[in-house]
Parts: sequence; structure tokens; C-alpha cells
Amino acid sequence: MEKKGAQRSRIIELLEEHGGMRPGAAREVARETGVPEADIFGVASFYTLLARPGARTRVCQGLTCMMAGADRRMQELRDSGVEVEPVSCLGQCDRAPAALDDKLELVAGPRGAISPARDDQAMQLAAEDDASYAALARAVEAGPQWVIDELKTAGLQGRGGAGFPAHFKWNSVRTQQEPVRYVVVNADEAEPATFKDREVMLRRPHLMLEGMAIAAFVAGAKTAFIYVRGEFKDCRRALDRAIEQAKPHLDELIGGLEIRIVEGHGAYICGEETALLEAIEGRRGMPRLKPPYPTEAGLWGKPTLMNNVETLACVPSIVRRGGAWFHALGRTEPGSKLYCISGHVARPGVYELPLGVTLDELVEEAGGYLGTPRAFSPGGASSGFLPMSERAVPLDFGALAKLGSMMGSAGVVVLNDTIDMAQAARWQQIFFEDESCGQCAPCRIGARVQRQAVDRWIDGKNRSGLAQVEEVAWEMNEGSICGLGMVASLPLQSAMKYFSEDFQ
Amino acid sequence: MNQLIETTVVLEIDGESVEVPQGETVLKAARALDIEIPVLCHDDRVEPAGCCRMCLVEVEGQRRLQPACTFKASPGMKVRTDTERVARHRRGLLSLYKADHRLDEAGKPVSRGVHDMLADHIATYGTGPELEPVNAPRVSREHDTNPYIQFDPDACVVCGLCVRYCDEVEAVSAITLLGRGSATTIGTADQRNLLDTSCELCGGCIAVCPTGAMTEKPSLALPTEQIVRSTCNFCGVGCQLDLHVAEVPVTIGAPASAKQTKRVTRVTSPEPGTTVNDGNLCIKGRFSYEFINHDERLKEPLIRGADGQLHPATWEQAIARVAEGLHGVKQRHGADALGFVSSSRCTGEENYLMQKLSRAAFGTNNCHQCAAT
Repeated sequence: MEKKGAQRSRIIELLEEHGGMRPGAAREVARETGVPEADIFGVASFYTLLARPGARTRVCQGLTCMMAGADRRMQELRDSGVEVEPVSCLGQCDRAPAALDDKLELVAGPRGAISPARDDQAMQLAAEDDASYAALARAVEAGPQWVIDELKTAGLQGRGGAGFPAHFKWNSVRTQQEPVRYVVVNADEAEPATFKDREVMLRRPHLMLEGMAIAAFVAGAKTAFIYVRGEFKDCRRALDRAIEQAKPHLDELIGGLEIRIVEGHGAYICGEETALLEAIEGRRGMPRLKPPYPTEAGLWGKPTLMNNVETLACVPSIVRRGGAWFHALGRTEPGSKLYCISGHVARPGVYELPLGVTLDELVEEAGGYLGTPRAFSPGGASSGFLPMSERAVPLDFGALAKLGSMMGSAGVVVLNDTIDMAQAARWQQIFFEDESCGQCAPCRIGARVQRQAVDRWIDGKNRSGLAQVEEVAWEMNEGSICGLGMVASLPLQSAMKYFSEDFQ
Repeated sequence: MNQLIETTVVLEIDGESVEVPQGETVLKAARALDIEIPVLCHDDRVEPAGCCRMCLVEVEGQRRLQPACTFKASPGMKVRTDTERVARHRRGLLSLYKADHRLDEAGKPVSRGVHDMLADHIATYGTGPELEPVNAPRVSREHDTNPYIQFDPDACVVCGLCVRYCDEVEAVSAITLLGRGSATTIGTADQRNLLDTSCELCGGCIAVCPTGAMTEKPSLALPTEQIVRSTCNFCGVGCQLDLHVAEVPVTIGAPASAKQTKRVTRVTSPEPGTTVNDGNLCIKGRFSYEFINHDERLKEPLIRGADGQLHPATWEQAIARVAEGLHGVKQRHGADALGFVSSSRCTGEENYLMQKLSRAAFGTNNCHQCAAT
């Protein structure tokens, strides 16, 4: 029950100002906002960066970083007297093993590669960013319905992971009765092995902002929120700079747009769209039940158009060059796609290629395999693992779904034959246990059960837990509220299915 | 004239048709048909959360199982609660809950003397895979010295009903979901003692807790042999109470061989929706019942004799003595020399009778009630 006048949406930033979950901080923030103290304490305890405040080095425990020796790096840092904390994937897989310093700034390392700019790319990360806002002008001139029609022709599927046709969402928000609508950009990129949105924000922030402005124009929104992962300090700076440059154009073309950046505070689940809305509203990032969908009842119950950074970054070129042009860029499905690749390849990075390329083509772009490839994970931790016998499958939404895997965020990891797949599965299961929000029992308990099953196998060669993995996975898939719980068993299930020799 | 236009919808649950008001949930529609859908996190007094996942059912046209407690009935909707998919889900979910729960020696979820809904559901629906205990890393508040409410995080299913009740019904918000993932539990601000929070010790968290994770400290492990309905006499609201009575040792904690006595072991409210207090109680109604079995409690009228001592008497003798004294004052000094003050612990009806006595029997308006302002 919200007290009248309570300023809930301020509590997370205020907690950060007060140094996170320290004794007395919740009381102070309660005084400043009118939100009950216990509630604030509960919110603080949910977000890693608030719950475990303090200046220390954070070392990534993502799959790619673990394969690249994150454990060793942590030990070296500890030996040199640095306070370190192991943390979930930092989205820096092209710099594995990655770490953030005590100010959450990236510890310098090699920069990942990107593909050279080509005309058959919708985003062209290597090209100079375009701050002319010509696509927005074109959209305003042609009108909202024209934009939606072009998106439909383009066949643009949401690039956040679900692959839902973008024009459906845009049209749905546009046609709501409620006059107050919001646009929310999901820039909480945290799926292990994924770092494409990071590169868009760093290299082409205007591309995303222009897509966002077109979305606001079409949706009839006066305010747009950008929810940026808190660990992406450099992205935040790039966005701040670009927003300043964009303002005159937005004022001129669409009568201004209020843009608010909200930083994440260390919770993978906030990449789930309704959990993200909860976070913006100042609550624990626990996903909502769907329906209703955010297009009908999103931020503060208002119709909300939410898109991933990459999805929005595709929009300007669709508006400029037409939906048909974009559609034709793809091979098996429409458009070009940012593929992240890391692990045992020569040049980890972000490559923009036709949607539906094969693993071999992607790896060729990335300089070839390192060692003898044995497995790959096609779309982040949530996609599980596939054996190299599936190397010819098109990396697209439909074909990977048919294999029981997913395209997800297109965070591809290649694992060579030096990796024990039981160990690889354990790293992913640790991630899901750590990042489960805890709201529903199937995921809260199930993720721990699955992690302990693989623990018992690796640490004690005890197979008792492995026998239950499928049944527990079934229940997690059926019973969980959100997608995290539904897929959280996939790494272990797929490793056991395709690499049973590592479990003998 | 006010016109209430109520539209209804007809839906089908397990093949049976039912008509319910528009906006009603599948759970309520099922109840109208006497179809049992198990719940843990549900209470009619708070907004449904759909988070315990116990009430998931199949809804035709929905790819995923849907929570009956939140899913709205719509015309022509077809719901099934009796399929193998639903049954398998219930078993699988109960296996997980069990692996995360404190168990007794028989391997059943531990009973803490109040609701045992998890154990009940397991007995009714069974479990699926046999799982090892997960030993979730929850923090506790063992240091909490408040006299009434004890919380065992390992007997908790983290449904958050206590948190929602505390917020939505009591508007107190003393407790919160704390932590994340498998460590999630119920906590207070800075994990302070409940006495140092906004908690009013109403014990509503105990009343709503489906598994007894929240329970009465003074009543831990005490049985209920009989329930006696009574009216709370701490104020005039008229809250109904259920007094739980059992034969227990004279001194609680004494060996079972010690002298047994029948006494009140805990107080609960009748089911929500059945009495004026709608399942709610305050700190006094729920926890202040020691006086009932107190050694010094007055159980019969006493009249002070010529020797200056109090002597047991019958009610007739006592009332006659009071009447004699009051009439004496009225005769000597007039009716307005009398004053009648009733206790705030009297019911409305008793207060009414007191003023009637004052005005009609003795003829004075000098009557008051101690809680009046």
C-alpha cells in the first residue's frame, strides 16, 4: 500500500547515494521518500551492487571468463592484496577474463573485434555514428502507420532474445485507449556471453537514440526511459553525451522527448521486461505475471513500448532504406544481426552478419577456431549447449528453437575439447542459481537443486542428483513465472544429453 | 436511484459450468463449484500474487499453466484442474518445496502448531522426484527478543503472504522479502528486533502463514484439544476469538508427568469473512490471554466483611450488597451523587446496559465509559 506522495522510484538511486545496504541507510531513505523502511531494506537486499556495497575488484565468473582462467586471475589479485569478489557475467566476454575495478570501471584489457562496415549491414558498428536524425525526420514526415507498416515489411524480430515481431508491440501500444504511454529501452544487457548492446551504445549511441525517438513518436510517448546495466559505466557516458547532441533534433522534430536514464544495480533478472519495470518503479526486480503485457499495462500501469537496444538500432535504417531492404539482408530470417562470439575463437567480438549464418561462417569472420571445437552455446547461458554436429544449423530464432535451444541474444560461445562439459554446465547453473529472483519456488529451489546435482557429480562422482534433472527441469519449465526459471536447467540438460561421456 | 449493473460470465471448470461475476478469478469460480484448487500464498484479504505456483491450472488457449488465484474468468473459458499435467506439476512443485523445508523425524514438513498446508498438500497430492535437502543459505533473526512472534526461515515457503498482509491489511509494513534467489527470506529493516520496527505485534503474519513459519513463541509445540469461541473483551469492537484449550503441564516446559491442567494455549481469529473482525486480531486479542488462567484472577464475587477481609459470596448476595449501598447514597445525597463508569473492556451491549442502569434505575446522567473522550 503506497503512502500518498511516496517517492518510490527514487529509492534505488538514494540507496546508492547512501552507500548501499548499510545500517541506517534504509531509515534515511524512508525519511526522504515516505516509503516504508522495511520495504526499502528489502529492495536494497535484492540488488547485488547495493546489497554488497564496497570498493573492491569484481571478477567475472561467466562461462567465457571461467574458460579463460577467471579463477587464476582472482587468485593473482588476492595474492597481490586486492580485495576481490566473484560476480556474474559482466558482459565483457571479448576481454575474458574480465574484471571491474573498485569504481566499477573496466580493468583495461584487450578490446574485442567488430566487423568492418559493409553495405549489407543495418547497424554498421564500424561506421561513424550519424547524429543527423534524418530517419526521425523521415518517420515524422511519413507518419506512425507508415513506420509500423515498414517494420512489418522488414520482419524485424525483437533482438533481446524472444524474437517477437516488433511491429506487433509498436502497434499494440499505439492503439491503446490510455493517452499516457512510455517507451523503455532495455539496455540491461546481462545474458552471459552477450555484449552487443554494449558496442551499439559505445559506438553508435545515436542509432539507438534515433530508434528510440521514432518509437516514442509512433507510440505517442512523451517520456522514454533507458535502463542501462549499472556495470556499463562507459555506455552511460556515451549515452549522456549523445543525448545532449540529440536534444535539439528531438525538440525540432517531435516537440521534445524527456529521456531518463536509470542504472541497473546488479540483477540479471532485470533484463526480463517486467522485472525491469519493477526496478524502474523502485521495487525488487521480480517479474510480473503475464498477462497483462507491458504494451497494455507496463510502467506505472501505463501502456509501455519496450525494446532491446539492438532492436531500436535497426529502426533508423529500416526507415531510411525501407522494410524490404532490411528484410532482404537476412538469410533464413529477416535482417542483419549482431552476433557476439567468444570462447575458443581467434578474435572474439561482435559481428554483424545476415541472420541465419552458420557457426562456421561466424567463426571464420572471427578468425577461426582455437583448438578442436567440441561444443557451442548459440545464444547465451539460457540456450544451453549444442554439439559440433549441429554446426551447420542456421543461427536464427526458428532453427535453434527446433533443436530445443534458442537464438536468444546471439551470445555465441565456442568450447574446445579441453573443456569438461560437466564443469561448463556447472558454471552456467551457478549463474542461474545466483540470479534467480527468488519469487517463485520452481526457479528459486529448482535452480539450486540443479546446481547441487552437478556439484555432487563433479565433487563426489555421485550421480543421485543427475537422475532427477529432467523431472526437476520439467517442473521449472511448467511452474516458473518467467523465462529465467523456464530455461534455467538447459545448460545441464543439454550437456548431459550431448556430452554424456562427461557424466560417466 | 442507484442501479448496480452486474454482468456475469459463464465458464467451465473440469467440464462443469459455473456463472460468476465479471472480473472474478478462476480460483473463486472453482470454489463456487466446490472444486479444490490448492494454494499457499493466497488470502482473500490481500491482492493475489500468483507466486507460490500451487494453484496453476490448464486454461484452454493458454500455452502455459496459469495461476487460478489471479487469472480472470472470461466467457466460454475452459479450465481443467484434473489433468495429468496439473497433477504432475503439483507433485514436482511439492518435491521442491519439501527439499527446501525443515522436516520432522518422519520426513514430513515440520509442524509448528498452526497451519500445516504444505504437509497437507503433500498428503493430498503426493510428491514427484525424491530430492536431497537444498540447505538454502537463508539468514535468520534468532536474536529477535520480541515476546510473541517467532520466525523459522527453514519452515517458510517464501510465499510473502505475511509481507503482503502486513502491508495491505495492517498498513504497517514491518517486514519484507529479503535477499534474492535461494537465500530469499522474510526480514525486517536492518534485521532489527520486531520491537524496534513499525511492527505492532498483531500477529497477523502468524495467522496467514500457510506453514507455521511464523508462530506464537509462548505457544510453540503446544497442542489444541478443543476450540472455544469467545468475544474479545479488551475493547468494544466485539472481535470474535477462538480460544485453543488443551491439558498441559501447570508450568509450561515442565516434564509431561507434572500436574496437568486445562488451559488456553493460543488464541486465533475465526476464518476471515465469517465474523466482524474478518480474521484479524490485535496484539491484545491474540497474545494477552494469560489472565484467563492466572492464579490471582477473580472468579467469584467477594464481599468485605466486618473483619476487613474479603469473603466469597454468591452473586445474589453481592448484587444485593451493591444495590443497598447505591440506594443508600441516593437516599442520603440524591441520584446525582452517583456516577457510573464502565470499562473499555465491556462490549457495546454491556455499555448500553450500564447507561440504562444509570439513567433508568437510578435516575442520573452521570454515566461514562473510560474509553470515551
